[in-house]
Amino acid sequence: MKHRRLGVLVWVLTIALMEGIANAEPSGREIMQAVYDRPQGNDMSGTLTMTLFDSNGKERVRVIKQWIGRYGRVDKKLMIFQSPADVRGTSFMNWSYKEEGKEDDQWIYLPALKRVKRISAEGKGDYFMGSDFTYDDLGDRHPSEDNHTLVRTERINGEECWVVESIPKDPRYMYSRTVTWVSKEKRVGVKRDFFDRRGTHLKTLNVRSVEKIEDIWVLMEVEMHNVQKKTSTRMSFQNVSINRGLPESIFSERTMVRGVE
Amino acid sequence: MREHLYRSFLVSLFILLGLTLLVAEEGSDREGAIVNGYGRTKVGVFLKNGDYFLSENTLDLRFRYNTRGAAFYSNVVLYERTGELETPHLRELYMDLKDDSMDLRIGKQQVIWGKGEGVFITDIVSPKDLTQFLLPDFEEIRRSIVGVRGALYGESSTLELVWVPWFTGTLLPRKDSLWAPRQPFPVVPTILTEELPQFSLDSSSFYARYSYLGESVDMSLIGGWYWNDTPAYTVMSKTISPGVGLMDLTIQPEYYRVYSIGFAFAGTFGPAIAKAEGAYVGDKRYQGNPIVYPRGYAEKNGIHYMIGADYSFKGVTMGVQYIQEIILDYEKDLLSDRLKNMMTVALSRTFFQDKLKVELFSYIGLDNKDALVKPKLTWNGIDSVELFVGAYLFINNTGDFGQYHDRNGVYTGGKMSF
Repeated sequence: MKHRRLGVLVWVLTIALMEGIANAEPSGREIMQAVYDRPQGNDMSGTLTMTLFDSNGKERVRVIKQWIGRYGRVDKKLMIFQSPADVRGTSFMNWSYKEEGKEDDQWIYLPALKRVKRISAEGKGDYFMGSDFTYDDLGDRHPSEDNHTLVRTERINGEECWVVESIPKDPRYMYSRTVTWVSKEKRVGVKRDFFDRRGTHLKTLNVRSVEKIEDIWVLMEVEMHNVQKKTSTRMSFQNVSINRGLPESIFSERTMVRGVE
Repeated sequence: MREHLYRSFLVSLFILLGLTLLVAEEGSDREGAIVNGYGRTKVGVFLKNGDYFLSENTLDLRFRYNTRGAAFYSNVVLYERTGELETPHLRELYMDLKDDSMDLRIGKQQVIWGKGEGVFITDIVSPKDLTQFLLPDFEEIRRSIVGVRGALYGESSTLELVWVPWFTGTLLPRKDSLWAPRQPFPVVPTILTEELPQFSLDSSSFYARYSYLGESVDMSLIGGWYWNDTPAYTVMSKTISPGVGLMDLTIQPEYYRVYSIGFAFAGTFGPAIAKAEGAYVGDKRYQGNPIVYPRGYAEKNGIHYMIGADYSFKGVTMGVQYIQEIILDYEKDLLSDRLKNMMTVALSRTFFQDKLKVELFSYIGLDNKDALVKPKLTWNGIDSVELFVGAYLFINNTGDFGQYHDRNGVYTGGKMSF
């Protein structure tokens, strides 16, 4: 009888332990690393439509052709403005490195100056072409640059999400913290709140549409709302192609000046 | 003569367009025609008396026709200044032949080199239009050359070779212009018509650049054997009176050959972009005291360099450059100092989702403590439409900038791109 009771206890404990293992949540760092490491394809190209809304809701539209390629330790991005007329032909190129702490290389080409100019990576805190996205918001921030804590799990827009708070290790960083809702199913962030250096809520990024293309989850429409300035920027992607074998040579001075033909 | 030149331009335009169509690959996209440009109006007044110094309407029309293996481009500009329509100005007109690893550009074109802002150290190919001093936008200050530019592309590097068979000089202000510089001569000289290089293969200019753009650093090496685009003044006759000195002087602007080698560099160093540019110029003519130098100048070698940095902080983009020119083997009777020191400062910041841009560019002469300060405010509240207001402020009353101290002005205008 004694042995039987002991057997039941061991069984119950084993099941409880197994359930515990099955339900154990990953750490905040593990979640953000999984988001960073998720398959994104070797290259991607498409048309980006950026709509800027001012505080009165008046909109301005920019159309940009975008190419992204991943080549070993370097991620390369090229953007060429198609419209409006006064910025047509302006191009921006960014090379981002996997190494911790290594600054990005960035260049801009302004048709009026007819010259490619290297620009400061410290300008990553600057807003990209008048939008509510900083240059840094548009890149993949390495998880090692922040301390991450899993705060809770929450259902948002029908998706089960981890909610992760990230506090930058560098106190000079433009945000004091960010809170990200990560889809458990897709391993992509679907919402992020940004807090300014004083700890006040500054912006919210909402992912409006995610599509699976070539077995890869792609953010097709995102909107950044600046709650302090009451301005918004919506970015939507069209004609997205993935893994088409983009040659590395297109991420060059020549392409910035002449465009991709 | 002007009419003849204008007709030649039009004929060239059609020949180049025809060639572009001819070399277009079979089946390539022939619907690659793009027309764009802008219309702009500008008016400016002097601060001292409210007199207009600028009244200008501009139509800038650009046409590009792209095919898979070639492209044609033309940029025609019409200026109406103080109510008079000038002859249409063909800023650029060229044909591109393109391959995976090389380009060939034939025709009238601007070739822009160097890393500096507002300084022309290794930017030795395209001459300048200085008829309004350094006041217009840099795009409008540059003139085009007529020639052939070939470029070979490596993984991260480019080798460019430029051949300019037809000389184009820098345009200087006429002597009755508001922007005519003070002459350095002890008497007011009689200036004869300039002597241009002969139009022949022998008088070609040649330039080369190797450039690298890559991880952390961009750099380039340049070289050229070319006609200097600003003339030296050769003494044609002079009268010297014992006890009085120079009484009379007749000079003639004369272009001459120089050679140059140089480098340009820009690199990311922490939060800043460090940049530098330098050139050694050989056989340059420096004006001297006409009594001492029979031809009015001495041939010397010179060094011209710049070091600078760009930095962005809290949305403000800042750029500082220090520039020095050195005359080697200096002689005391030259009219220029052995060293010339200058700085530039640039600041810009946008507000309201880039609708408002505040910018300032300043040249500072360190030897005479003079400066040209160009603040500008641009409102871009509607896409493709700009309204702007700016000023030209000259500080001190000597030096390259201070000599215009009584010409401080403000201007305003609008521009619409299409």
